[in-house]
Amino acid sequence: MTSLALKTLIYEWRRFLPAVLAVGFACLLQLLQIAFVLGIFSSASVYITGSTAQLWIGYPGTQSVNVGRPVHEELRSRLAMDPQVQRVEPFLWLDADWRSARGGASVIVSGIDERPNGLMFAHVLPAELRAQLTVPDTVIVDRADLSKLGVNVGEWATINGERVRIIGVTQGLRALGGVNVVASLQTARHLDAGGSTSIGPTYFVAQLRGPDNAEAVARRLCCQASFGPYEVWTAKAFARRSELYWLLDTGAGAGVMFLAVIVFAAGAAISSQALMAAVGGSLREYATLNALGVGIASLRWVVLEQALWVGAAGLLGAAALGGALLLLARSQDVPVVLDIWVTLLCMGVALGVAVVSGLAAVQSLRRADPATLLR
Amino acid sequence: MTSAATPTYPLRALNVSKSFLVGRIRTQVLTDLSLDVEAGRLTLIAGPSGCGKSTLLAILSGLLRVEAGAVQALGKDLAELSRHELERFRLSHTGFIFQEFGLFPALTALEQVELPLHYLGMSRASARVRAEQSLEEVGMATRSRLRPSELSGGEKQRVAIARAIAKEPALLFADEPTSALDAANGALVIDLLHRIARSHGTTVLCVSHDPRVISHADRVFQMEDGRILESHPRPPTPILKGHTA
Repeated sequence: MTSLALKTLIYEWRRFLPAVLAVGFACLLQLLQIAFVLGIFSSASVYITGSTAQLWIGYPGTQSVNVGRPVHEELRSRLAMDPQVQRVEPFLWLDADWRSARGGASVIVSGIDERPNGLMFAHVLPAELRAQLTVPDTVIVDRADLSKLGVNVGEWATINGERVRIIGVTQGLRALGGVNVVASLQTARHLDAGGSTSIGPTYFVAQLRGPDNAEAVARRLCCQASFGPYEVWTAKAFARRSELYWLLDTGAGAGVMFLAVIVFAAGAAISSQALMAAVGGSLREYATLNALGVGIASLRWVVLEQALWVGAAGLLGAAALGGALLLLARSQDVPVVLDIWVTLLCMGVALGVAVVSGLAAVQSLRRADPATLLR
Repeated sequence: MTSAATPTYPLRALNVSKSFLVGRIRTQVLTDLSLDVEAGRLTLIAGPSGCGKSTLLAILSGLLRVEAGAVQALGKDLAELSRHELERFRLSHTGFIFQEFGLFPALTALEQVELPLHYLGMSRASARVRAEQSLEEVGMATRSRLRPSELSGGEKQRVAIARAIAKEPALLFADEPTSALDAANGALVIDLLHRIARSHGTTVLCVSHDPRVISHADRVFQMEDGRILESHPRPPTPILKGHTA
């Protein structure tokens, strides 16, 4: 069957362009907003997602990895005794003060096991670079943070008044609310001005022999009072917990929702106006078809089909432009996260805007009264 | 005014009245009007502007409802049909030709003609064949791939006629079909309407004040102030000139 909707859309594309742009930009804004917000908050869990540990053991009730409190050192032996646990490592987290010749900053020092098979930051630290941390008072930072720290590789700075040297840079270490500085456990303890690490590390992380049963092992290991207060989480659950904490606790989640509603409404308003104008421009032709016996229901479907094509075109444009912008963001070390759910959500937004606009435009068909053609 | 020569008529208006409310003033457009339209003829409703001839066409074709009286089309009382049934009736049995063509700018002549056929439930292949035949009949076969912007006014009206007759309707309504056309194209369109009535047995009801249509019509109803003044098989020209709008 001749697709009146599609043929009209192609032939009179200038008339429909505002609607396509409105849907496209609504989709693009939503996509970028969510990708950036998720990207930013995913950096809250970079300690977890950048590591190969399957279990995290920390102070009970810890809502996010950045608000951990020390656990007892004796816990290590309890964890290591479990037959399913292959390796246990301490992880130190310190808030610290960075000073260099060209400025100062608030930093987060991560004290990690610097041995080649270490679990912490295994995904972001190349083995060769990691090995260099064995030299006392050396640190590694994200290359994107160098300017913020006011140093170059090989130069010296002070953390909490202690001298450290930047021995290398890596990617994927950017933090939320500070700058991540990675050091060996020994260096981190040395930099601990407050002495909080004297009780024990902030976390223990563990690698299991069979990674598939992490949840069962976590339940089994959890919460024996004789080793002091502690809780065990799987890496996945702890990462999610940390990201949700940031998303909800900072009000960013509500901000995202608010902006989503605004973008949707603005997109639908602009798009529906353009579609209504397009229907208005063809009112005489629609009335003629109705006179010939083509039912109003069929004509409504033509308008709705047109709206869906507008949605599809907008979606295509948004996908192309959004993809390019996200690639550009990644190349500039801007954290972005785009998963299947975000993509589906944005597709839903585009089609939602298109359908709402189409339904509004359908109302214009009421004026397509064939009797008005006779005068 | 009823003709007693033919016992059954495909189209009848019986004591039809219609008024419109404009602001707070009600204007009577048709008053107790009756007429019978014969099958296989080109029937014309003529009269000055504002005499109610277009309203009468809209009522006879089922586009408007009557206030009083009845309209019978192909034996059905149109007042008894729901909106959906009326649309279905028009799809199956009626064709329309308007002064301003009503062609979609994006479609070729062939697609314009095919479009209603698809809604009639015809297969793609049958619709194509039927549309080509109709375009051939109005002399537009060689222009069938062109869009309205590439056609002259006369050609557009011929495509509109092809679209109206492709459904092979029993009733064909035309509202001022020659008003927007030059003399040559106007004559061509009138000739086509006459031929359609004769060769297909279609009941063609036309509203016009064009003298050329009047001279081609098999029967002319002369209207004034919402009433039929007189009806002639072939009207004398001087009288008609006095009533053109």
